[in-house]
Amino acid sequence: MSSTTTITKAPKTRPPAAPINILDNDTAKLYTHIHPILVLSLYAFQFKSIVADPVPALLRTLIPLSVLQIAYVAICLPPTGSNATPVAPPKPGQKKKPVPGKLESGIQGKIIPAFLSLLLSTLAATPVLTITLILFGAPIATHHAHTLLCAAHISLLATLPLIYVHGVEGEKWREIVALLLPIDEVYGAMIGAVLGAWLGAVPIPLDWDREWQKWPVTIVTGAYTGFAVGKLVGGTLLKGKKISFE
Amino acid sequence: MRGRTILLTVANLLIPVAILVFATGFFPYKPFIPGLAEYEEIGNYAYKFGKAPDAPFNKLVFMVVDALRSDFVFGEHSGFRFTQSLIRSGTAIPFTAHATSPTITMPRVKAITTGSIPSFLDVILNFAESDTTSTLATQDTWLAQLKAMEGGKLVMYGDDTWLKLFPDFFERADGTSSFFVSDFTEVDDNVTRHVPEELLNSDWNAMIMHYLGLDHIGHKAGPNSPNMLPKQIEMDGIVQQIYEAIENEEHLSRTLFVLAGDHGMNDGGNHGGSAPGETSPALVFMSPKLKQITEGTDGYRCPTTPKADFDYYTKIEQSDIAPTLAGLLGFPVPRNNLGVFIPEFLHFWADGSDRIQLLLRNAKQILTIVKATFPAHNFKDKVQEMNCEGSLSSGEELSCKWQNVVQALETAAALHPKMRMDIIYSFCRTAQDIMSSTTSNYNVSRLILGTALAFLSFTLTMLSIRSKLSSISSTGIFYTLILLLYGILMFASSYVEEEQHFWYWSASAWFAYLFIAESRKEWFSKWVFHPAVMLLIVTRTLRRWNQTGQKHAGAPDIAHSTFLLHPLVLWSLVGAVYLDITIRLSRHIARSVMDPKKSREEKGYAELESGEGDRFVGMLAVFPLGATAFVFKLGFTAKDAPELVKGVNGGLFYWVGDLGLVGVARMVFVGLALSASWLVISEWRRTKMVKKGKESGGDLAVALFDLLSLFLITQTRAQNIPVYLLFRMQIFFLTLLNLTPTQITITTLLLTQTSFFALGNSNAISSIDLSNSYNGISGYNISAVGLLVFMSNWAGPVYWAIVGVLLLSGHPSSTPLYRDRYFDEQEIKEEVKDWVKEEREHLNEMLEKEVQRGREKGKKGDWEEHVALLTLWMGAGLGAVMCACTVLRTHLFIWTVFSPKFLFAMAWGVAYHLGVSVGLGGGIWWVGGW
Ligand SMILES: [Zn+2]
Repeated sequence: MSSTTTITKAPKTRPPAAPINILDNDTAKLYTHIHPILVLSLYAFQFKSIVADPVPALLRTLIPLSVLQIAYVAICLPPTGSNATPVAPPKPGQKKKPVPGKLESGIQGKIIPAFLSLLLSTLAATPVLTITLILFGAPIATHHAHTLLCAAHISLLATLPLIYVHGVEGEKWREIVALLLPIDEVYGAMIGAVLGAWLGAVPIPLDWDREWQKWPVTIVTGAYTGFAVGKLVGGTLLKGKKISFE
Repeated sequence: MRGRTILLTVANLLIPVAILVFATGFFPYKPFIPGLAEYEEIGNYAYKFGKAPDAPFNKLVFMVVDALRSDFVFGEHSGFRFTQSLIRSGTAIPFTAHATSPTITMPRVKAITTGSIPSFLDVILNFAESDTTSTLATQDTWLAQLKAMEGGKLVMYGDDTWLKLFPDFFERADGTSSFFVSDFTEVDDNVTRHVPEELLNSDWNAMIMHYLGLDHIGHKAGPNSPNMLPKQIEMDGIVQQIYEAIENEEHLSRTLFVLAGDHGMNDGGNHGGSAPGETSPALVFMSPKLKQITEGTDGYRCPTTPKADFDYYTKIEQSDIAPTLAGLLGFPVPRNNLGVFIPEFLHFWADGSDRIQLLLRNAKQILTIVKATFPAHNFKDKVQEMNCEGSLSSGEELSCKWQNVVQALETAAALHPKMRMDIIYSFCRTAQDIMSSTTSNYNVSRLILGTALAFLSFTLTMLSIRSKLSSISSTGIFYTLILLLYGILMFASSYVEEEQHFWYWSASAWFAYLFIAESRKEWFSKWVFHPAVMLLIVTRTLRRWNQTGQKHAGAPDIAHSTFLLHPLVLWSLVGAVYLDITIRLSRHIARSVMDPKKSREEKGYAELESGEGDRFVGMLAVFPLGATAFVFKLGFTAKDAPELVKGVNGGLFYWVGDLGLVGVARMVFVGLALSASWLVISEWRRTKMVKKGKESGGDLAVALFDLLSLFLITQTRAQNIPVYLLFRMQIFFLTLLNLTPTQITITTLLLTQTSFFALGNSNAISSIDLSNSYNGISGYNISAVGLLVFMSNWAGPVYWAIVGVLLLSGHPSSTPLYRDRYFDEQEIKEEVKDWVKEEREHLNEMLEKEVQRGREKGKKGDWEEHVALLTLWMGAGLGAVMCACTVLRTHLFIWTVFSPKFLFAMAWGVAYHLGVSVGLGGGIWWVGGW
């Protein structure tokens, strides 16, 4: 069994995966709800120009989207390696640890990982998602820029926060791909964005002759919608639940 | 257990019943009036008529050019220069004759000759019945009327459809058949060579010609083919030859010359559906005598531009040809006619009363059909009070219009003839509209009953697997979701047209699901080469093989790429497919000839693997079959698509030419049948010798599948044959996945559907491939042709239905020949090569496990559940299609999109599901258990 690794080994070396909790401060708690609204507003605001001319508009939109996503992970999420996920739930009445308030540690501990996540999600996740899109039926001979940008958007939405909270450890990503992690708002947003992108393909063949039916508008729309829905549901209703295939 | 089986059996039996009930309501049997029409007493009105008006013509030359679209004659770039000059000079009158769907030759000839409007049911009847009901021998047509005239004699040259429809009608005839669409010249030369002598003969009163070459050019290379213009010029030359003979020969002086297309073609050169191009054939009436009726008018400009797509000049219905010929040649309008006399030609009669009489006879003939269709309504021939206000039903509207006719005729006052004619026209046109739309003719209660029966089948199947339903699994959720979505999408016309997208979309998701499901159990370190990912890649390649549907019909794809169509590439790939199957078959034969008793005596146990000598015998026995099949494909393609065999040695065709393709195809079929019988008999003998449970039946099942795939390949066009290599790869990767029986069933379902579309099919009648329907058949044997048409269009689904059974019983990988065969085959795929080497050990390991699992599989319960899930899908899918057809029966696209879909659903439900999936699949399953 040289070439396969059974994931059953994993729990021995690591504690069982727990859902990601957002940082325990008021800004984080507030911004995590504002964030999807901002992302959706950004998309709604750009929608017309994306429909009119997808490539430049999608490219332009990537910048504010990155800013929003970086702000989101920096404000709301515990970066990978930090033990923000409490090992034991705090007892009632126990005094909370003071949040590191220094600006310096904020940059050190958050902004840099956030930018690293941006870099990785652009450089590593986007090509993989582009190929996935083509395997799922994206045009193979034409529209390359469209597909690439579509993948970039999905990647920023779905993988940037995941990289931020889980890092790039192979074992972790196997669990992520195999849907073995417990659901939280980051994981939910990823699943939502991917499912949304997949469902976004449904209206394309319809004969409504609308401009927005063109590639890849519906896919990107599906991803944004799925992101918001998945984030909401993952952070609330389904939080901590594990996906069962049986 | 027994209860489940009974429920499932009943559910399956309900499927054909539901289809039949629904079909009889959807394609209602139209009232058909037998016998030849005769001039009858016109009736006693206040308005008085003279005797029947004299006819301006006594002879007819009817020249059909198959697929002659309107712009081919009237457009700017037409080759019909002479015809155009006649139109300009006023000795020819042009029309666009609207052809209703299905735009294929046989129903169109029916419409032209009887004046009726054949429905989709006629298409089925034409296929399903060989007896007299599908011929027009007993029907009233203008051919029958002309033959019945004094000294009436008919001659016919061209498409033998006419000879099939009108057996023993013609004094002289020479039929040509359109076996090979690559034949552009011979089919037409066979007609043209008879023209000069027939123009000198004075014994006939109607000559019919039907040229096929132009249609063949369309099918082969589309309307813009470089061969198109020369062909038009050739046809124009024949028009000129005939027209000049009419001008110069005394016995032809009163001859009417009609040039007509039976249907048009779409931009791809195909037809069958109802795109504007397909429904707009050209129609030109020609005679020097026409000058007298065009003189007073503005005349026609030609060439000209269409008003809308392909809509040139006045648009008439194709059925209008029959009553117009009746008036112009002086015979009664055929009884089942729904056409209306073309107004332009009324100018032949100066007297208003003659014109009215002509129209009234037309109207009264239509009235007989109207009365038969609406027996409850009042169509009395006298003036009466009627309530014609408000919204009227079809029957009421017609009865009011008829009352108007009666009133106009009973008014003795000096009414302008034009007014009376307008009223009669109004009745005729309304009747034509209502009777041809058939909206009024649906039997809604049968539609509902049929739909309900389909859902009953669905419910019974649900009951049969109710124990399974209680446990919710992700596989079950996937199945349910796509079933629901499929049902909903059947109501969207664009998704019916583009159904392939749904299946590709679901199949990709399914393989992604399998990837995740497998990854949860065991992480495959080289995940890029995970079998499920490889399946995604292969499926994506298949998706690109043929572009189908409406929107992207002509888009670039692999099957039409210059790379694949390079003879060397194409035939290497095709050769690889044949070689692979031949080697497989040789091993099956080798197994069958070895003597298990002997090996047991020698080695002390029954050897299941065959030895060197046996293999040699096997190869020797099978090689001729494989080679003949390959040569047949080469020879067939040389006729069907010569450009694909350029550079192939001519000597190879020498003996094909001697034996004829029919003979070679028969050799292949007989060889397949002999091999199958031999394998079955030897296997049966073996099971007596070797103890049962040695999975010997599994080998027979695989052997029969390999024989079946050779048959399917024989029925597949050359440029699609390499797809079978991809199918092989899919099977290989599937065997590497640890699939549960339910997952195998879902995979089967998805792959049967994707393979159907990947091989170039769609839900459009025009996409049906008829090129392989006459393999090995020399005459016209309807059931054999039907079987071959089905097998060549459903080759992919038939293949995968049986693969599903083999996967389910765990056979494909449990046969030892699989293990060592696969890796040779993989060498074809370069990029996989390295990986194969690296992963070889691991795969072998997995295969070992798979073999183990295979032995555990194959329980009877699995088969029942497999059938149940497929029946469930079929019941729900059929129910959805029927429900859509019922709800949307007044929809604009009902005849263009939804009813073709229903025809396809019929084939899926009866021929595929019952015949192949349950019938043939059940047989293979049973054999596998020997
Ligand atoms: Zn044709």
